[in-house]
Parts: sequence; structure tokens; C-alpha cells
Amino acid sequence: MAKTRQKPELLQGTLDLLILRTLQWGPQHGHGIGVALRASSDEVLNIDHGSLYPALHRLEREGWVDATWKTSDRNQRAKYYRLTAAGRRQLAVERSRWSRLSAAIARVLGPA
Amino acid sequence: MLWRRLRKILKRTLFFPSQANRDLDDEIRFHLAEETRLQSERGLSDDEAVVAARRLFGNVAVAKEETRAVWVSTRLEQFLQDLRFGCRILTRSPGVSLTSTILIALVIGGNTTVFSIAHGVLAKPSPGVHAPRLATVSWVAENGDIQTHADFPVYSHFVDRSSVFQPIAAFDFARLTMTLDSGSYAVRAGIVTPNYFDTLGVRLVKGRSFLPEEAKPGPARLVAVIAHHVWQNNFGGVDDIVGKPITVNGQPATIVGVAEQNFRGAIFIELADLWIPLTGEGRDQLQVNRGAYLMMIGQRKDGVSLSQAQTQLATLWMQLQQARPELKQRYKVRLVPYSATAGGNSIVATRGNRMLAVFSVVTALTLVIVCANVTNLLIARAMVRQREMAVRQSLGASRGRIVRCLLAEGLVLSVVAWVAACLFAWWVSKAVVPFVVPETGVVPPDLAPDWTVVAYALGLALLCTLAVTAGPALRIRHQQLLPFLKVGEQGVVQGRSRLTHGLVVLQLAFSVLLLTSAGLALRSLSLQDSLDVGFETRNILLATVNTAAGATTPETNRRLLEGLQDQLARLPGVEQVSYRSGRRLASGSGFPVRREQSEESVLALDNTVAPGYFATFGVPFVAGRDFTRAGNSSSRSAIVTRQLADTLWPHESAIGKILLTGPADRLARSEIVGVVENAYFSGRGTEGPPRYVFFSNAERPAAPGETTFYIRHRGQLDAMAPVVARALRQADGRIPIASLRSIETEISSEVAPFWILTTLLTLFAAGSLIIAAIGQYAVVAFDGRRRTREFGLRIALGASSNQLVTSVMAESFRLTAIGIVAGFALSVAAGTVLARVLFGITPTDPPTYLGVFVLLATASLVACYLPARRAARTDPLVALRTE
Repeated sequence: MAKTRQKPELLQGTLDLLILRTLQWGPQHGHGIGVALRASSDEVLNIDHGSLYPALHRLEREGWVDATWKTSDRNQRAKYYRLTAAGRRQLAVERSRWSRLSAAIARVLGPA
Repeated sequence: MLWRRLRKILKRTLFFPSQANRDLDDEIRFHLAEETRLQSERGLSDDEAVVAARRLFGNVAVAKEETRAVWVSTRLEQFLQDLRFGCRILTRSPGVSLTSTILIALVIGGNTTVFSIAHGVLAKPSPGVHAPRLATVSWVAENGDIQTHADFPVYSHFVDRSSVFQPIAAFDFARLTMTLDSGSYAVRAGIVTPNYFDTLGVRLVKGRSFLPEEAKPGPARLVAVIAHHVWQNNFGGVDDIVGKPITVNGQPATIVGVAEQNFRGAIFIELADLWIPLTGEGRDQLQVNRGAYLMMIGQRKDGVSLSQAQTQLATLWMQLQQARPELKQRYKVRLVPYSATAGGNSIVATRGNRMLAVFSVVTALTLVIVCANVTNLLIARAMVRQREMAVRQSLGASRGRIVRCLLAEGLVLSVVAWVAACLFAWWVSKAVVPFVVPETGVVPPDLAPDWTVVAYALGLALLCTLAVTAGPALRIRHQQLLPFLKVGEQGVVQGRSRLTHGLVVLQLAFSVLLLTSAGLALRSLSLQDSLDVGFETRNILLATVNTAAGATTPETNRRLLEGLQDQLARLPGVEQVSYRSGRRLASGSGFPVRREQSEESVLALDNTVAPGYFATFGVPFVAGRDFTRAGNSSSRSAIVTRQLADTLWPHESAIGKILLTGPADRLARSEIVGVVENAYFSGRGTEGPPRYVFFSNAERPAAPGETTFYIRHRGQLDAMAPVVARALRQADGRIPIASLRSIETEISSEVAPFWILTTLLTLFAAGSLIIAAIGQYAVVAFDGRRRTREFGLRIALGASSNQLVTSVMAESFRLTAIGIVAGFALSVAAGTVLARVLFGITPTDPPTYLGVFVLLATASLVACYLPARRAARTDPLVALRTE
């Protein structure tokens, strides 16, 4: 199994969710996804851009995203990722899982 | 969908990983470029933007590595990746890889060849035998002696009562004369029960097998089934072969069937040309189908295991033993899975197992030697790659992964070697057939590797992989790899590697063992060769004929033979002629004899010969006289060797004494008329002194059948043989010549198996010596290279090159000494075992051990000297600067 799975972090599964959600807005390359995540979370989620790529490739492997190579306006090769139908379904699953999880945590913590 | 993914995976990991890597590089490069641009737009300078972009990204190398890890997240993909790495590593250090592959290929090839031959000779059925679940019947006595023949009543008992072991066929074989229109031929025949062909699953291409009526005793007509080659060569393959008449041993017979191509009998050595039915009693001239000496083969019923069938047979056997107490000494009955060499008296059957055991040990030893050698090579290479391993570890590879990586490399090595070995074995097995098969004109056994052999080779290859990977893997596990990132390999001084040196000692010890064994075998052979057999071994021609068609009773046979003997004696160039029934020089079966008024008996070898036998062989008489044609009317005459005479009648003349032979109820008395000088009449040395007793053919004529004339002649064999052949043919057209050969050929055929064994042993031993020496050279050389700094320092401090050479050699020679001592200890143990198989050697034969010592010490000296000299020539300046 990939080494990242051995790290006892919640972030990995959550990262998948975030990436899938970002791609819901349209196809994007890795850098774009990183910028979008930073922007839409108001700079709170400061993920190492490097860790995006293992996640992206894993999502591609699972079949939840599709990738195509395009040349950018600056004549550089870039890999654009796109959500697939299966990816959309997985996004829904992850979303509901996240809701259940955060609700459970909220219950444990109790009223502030 | 799955197929597409699989293809993608294979493309990425096995076939085009570089493409995937390039894509990843592009992707990340693009990301960094974009981020840099973003940062520049925010106001940073170009350099600061690049740094910021990198910082935001994180560790590029780790990201790439983790992404690649995603690609190979299943074990299969990892394994494929390891294989690819393995191939790359192998091509990177071609010297080590090539050497290792060749070594492993050779040793697996050698092993496989031996196994293939043994399997082909010992385990396969004869060609033409197609029935499954066949087994032969044999008996084991208490002392371990094996008996494979029994008489007809035993067979009937089994056939009538056995249920799970049916059908059972019985057979014997004999040498007969077959007379056709074209002449008389000496043929080998199988005497078989009517169900023989069905039981074995042999097809008859023409006609049918025997009917039960044809196998009944009584005046029925004789029928025969001929072999395929007889039909083709002697009858021209005509369609109406069934019903053609032939004559067998003077008796008319009809052909009723033709066997399928290549079938020559159930047992390897039979080589039958025709088959006649077994009747259980003698019929006319065909005294042979009496059925006194039968082998039995049968088929287990479907679903019955061998032990079940054997249990039932054992019960039946015990019943029989109650009714016939004389069978009690046979002890247990046993079912043996059928193979072409099962049973019979062939050398392969009786001694094959022991020879195979020797071979197995030899090949196992060479396997160990080569594995040890390759392990050392791979350990050396692993040490060079320690830095690479450390980098891999820091990038996230676990030790387990690294070990798996090493395993994959070893696997690639072994698979290549396995393929090479199978090819080698296939080629050798074709080339070696002429040596293994004793006679020409035989359908050669198929010794080419079949799937069993290929699987065996694969097993060996995998074993080798494990063996050679274990060494480097063990080192990796117990090492801190991080220090290697900080310092060069030379910086971290490894202690003396016990594993490596231990393996060198192991190789040397086993090489010594193989060399001494080969040496002992060679000594035995040379002792055989130089053995004084005690009789003339040149200028004697052996002519074997079959008189069955020319005579019907022993008496007429004797007159016929005496007539031939006179005719042959009159030929120009012939000095002496004698004859004996059978084929060989002398028979080798011993039976007890004793003197009168004594209960002690000694074993003697018994032969019946014609007058003139001793003169023909040039064995002088010590006392008394030869047999005469007239014979002795009052009692039987006997001639003994001096050894026997001295044993039974020490200090007195044996002439006129009475010799008693046979069991108490059938005692036979013979009078000694002559004593001859000691000689090994069978042509081979025996363990004990030669104790022979000879009886006269004139008084005890043999039944018509195979007889051999011994003709002492002057001049060349090539000139003599055709003359003799013509004379015999002209004398009596009904008597075919079975073979004509010189006495040298006869004697050397006795030692052929030992010669094969010795040759193979010598080859393996020589190979092991070379491999072990090279292995030692490699280890010393590598050690020397690692210690370059130390040597440079010593030279700079004033050591002379001689001192350095001596010091290095002394250290390495220590290994040799240990190896030789250990090897000799093993050799003594092996020698005791070998002394039982080989003739005339003692386990601690001094010349052999001395020779081996000299050979190995020299090889080792050279192996140590060369790298030592190179070490001594180290330039101190270069050495001290080297990392």
C-alpha cells in the first residue's frame, strides 16, 4: 500500500473529498486545484502542494477522475483532471460520510 | 474496464515506466512554473518567487516518490517493478551478473541432466507400454536380497485369487533360433501369458494376441507374435503377414500377430524380437516355455492404491507359503511401480539405485558450491550498493521492500539460468545416449527432459534464488544504512565478513570431497585395468551361436558342438578352441561346496566347460589334468582353482579328493582331477580370491541353446572373424551366429558403468575445483580492493611489497587450510562408503589424498597470489586519496 496510508492522518480521505469537490466546478490541473483550495478556504487549509499529486494519481487510479494532457496558453504541457460519473457518486458518498463524522464529533464535544 | 486498467498498469510499471516518469516531471514542473508566476505577480523577485514556490510545494522528490508508490500500490505491481529493477541492476554490473548466471546455469544444467537421465532410464515405461497403474511383483528376503522371479504355480495362485490386482501377466525371456526362408537367426524371445499384450496396453498392428487354447500344454500348434522391425526387415512389411509360417528352435510355428512399432518387451534389457505363449511346461524342442522362472507384472484396478493391492497380495502369499514351506525363505512380497528398468538382472536395475545415490550427492554438493560462490559475488555487489540502499530507505522503502527487491533480482538471475540449464540438459541428454545404452541396434531410451525434469530444474532454480539472496538480504537487515549516506563505503570499515569467509571454506571443503572421490574412482578403474586376471587377454575370439535349431537333446547337442569345435580347430591361424554354454566368459553365481566329512562349506563359482578351456585361456595346471571328451564313467570330474584347493585341502594334494555339492537330499559327488592356477575367469576383479570349480561338458552336456566358442588365434582379429563366421555358417545352416567379439570388448563391457560414473565424477570435481578457486580469488580480490587505503598506508610507512604479499596470502591461506582439513575429514567418511561400491580401494588411499592436496593447494595459492600481488602494487598516493 502507498506509504501515505500508513500515516495516521484524517487528511488523506478528506483531501480526496476536497479535490473531488473542487473538480465539481470544472476540469482543472494540479496547480489550479491547489490555488482553489487555498482561496475557497480563506487560506486556512494550507496543504503542501506536493501532497496533492499522490492524491490526484490515486483518484485517477480508482477511476473517480479522468486526466487529459493539454497545452496551456503559455505553450506548456499540463495535465487536466476531470470528474467522472463514478467520481460524482463517490463525492456524494464522501460528503455524507463527512457530515456524519462532523456531526458525531460535534455530539462528543457537546455544547460549547 | 479491468483489462484496460491492467494494460495501463503493465505499461506503467513494466514496459514504459519512463514515459510515466516524464509525464510526472512535466506535471510538477508546470505546477512550479505556475506558482512561481503567481508569486512574481504578487510582487516577489524572480529568485524569491522560485524559492517561495518550492517552499509551498514541499519536498519534490518525496512527492514524486509517493506518487510513484501510488502507481505500484498492489503487490503484483511492486513485484513487476522489482523485476524491472532487477533486470536493470543485472545489466549495470554485467561481469557479476554474467558470471553468476553462467555458474548457476551450469550447475542446474548438470543436476538436471543427471536427473533427466536417471528419470528417463529408471522411471519411464518401455516404449509401446501404455497401460496405467502397472506394477511388478518382487520378493524381499530378510537380509535384503531381492528376488524378481517365481515359478508357474505361484503365478497361478495369484491370478486365480487376486481381485484388486488384475490382470496379471507373467513372462520370461529366452534366446532362440528363428528360421525363415532367408536363413536362421539368433533371436531374443519373450515367453508370455496370453494376456501379456493387453495387460501392458500394447497395440498389435496386425493380427491378434494369443488365445487361451494356444497357451495350454499339449500338442497344440505353436504360434508367435513378431516384433515390428522383424515384420519390416525380414518380411518386407507385407500385408498378409498373419498366418505365415516360421520355425522356432526347429519347431514349426505360425505368425498370428505383429506388435506395434518400437515395442521390444516390458523390460529395458529384453529387446525381444518375437513372443511365444507360456504353457507352464516344456513343449517339444521348446524347453523354454516351462515357466520355471517368471517375472510378473499386473495392473492395479482403478481406485485401488498400491498399498491396498500389496496387502491383498501379501495375504495370498502367506496362504501359499503355508502350502509350500520351501517358499518361506522368500519372506515378503512387494509391489513395485513399473518402470522399464524394474526387475531383471540388468546392471541398472541392481546397481542403479546406488549409482543414483552417488550422483545425487555429487550434484547436490556442486549445487552448494556454486550457490556459495554466487552468494559471495552478490554480497560483494550488495556492499557496493549500500549507498543506493540507504537512499532508497530514506525515500521511504522499508527493509522488507528492499529485501523483496533483492529477491526479484535473484529471481531474474535464476530464471535466465533455468532456461539455459534446460537447454543444456536437453542437448547433453541427446549426446549422452550412446554411452548409456549398452548395445547398438536398440531403440534408444528417450532421455530428453520431460515436464517432470523441467519442473525439477525450476525447483532448483528457485532454491538457488533463495540461497543466493539470503546472504545479501541478511546483511541488509542487520545494517545501519544511514552512515553510508554520510561517508563513502571505504569509510565504514567492515569487520572480517564471517559469512563470506565461511562460504569460501565451505566451497573448498566440498571441492576436496569431490576431488578425493573422483580420485578414488580413478584409482579403482586403474586397478581394474592393471589387474592381472590370470589368463590371456589378447587374441581370443568369442563366437556365440544358438544350437537350438540343430539339436534336440543334450547328447546330440554335445556331438554337434564337438564337431564344430574340431572344425574350428582346423582353421588356419587357430591355436586352441573350447566352448561353454551361455554368453559370457564365466558365470559369477556362487554356491556352497565342501569336502567330504566336513560340514563347513565355502562359496565357489561354478562353471561347466569343454575340454581345452584352460589351454585356450592360457591358465596353467598346477596339478592333475584337463577334462577329456571321453569323460569319467564312474563319477563326475571337477577341476578347481588353487585357491579353492588350498582352502579345502591345505597342505595336501587335492587330486583324487571328493567334492560335495548341493543340498542334503540331492548330494552330488565329484572327483577332483585337476587344479589350475588362480585366475579371475569372469574378467573382473572380485572382492574375494578366485574360487572356481569347473565341471566337464562331456559328462554334463548342456541342452541346446546359446553356446560360446572361445577361439585362440594368431594374427589380427579382423582377419580371423570372417573366417570363423564363414566356417560356422558352412558347417550347419541351422545354427545362427548371435555375436562375434574379441575378448577385450567382452572384458571392457563389464566395467562400462564404472567408467561412466568415474568420468562424470571427474568432470564435476574438476568443475568444482575451478569454481572454488575462482570464488576464493574473487573474495580475496574484493577484500583487497576494500582495504586499498590500509595497504597504501602500509606501503607509505615502509612495508615492502613482499611483506604485503606474504601477509595477504597468509590470511587467505588460512581459509584454504581449514577447507582442506574439513574436506579431508569428509573424504574419509565418503571413502568408506565408496569402498563398498568401487573395487580395490581403501578409504584413505595415500596417493589420492596427496594428489588432491597438491592440486587444491596449488589452485588456492594461485588464486590468492594474484590479488595479493595487485594489492602490493598499490600506489600509496592514489590509495589514500580514494574514497
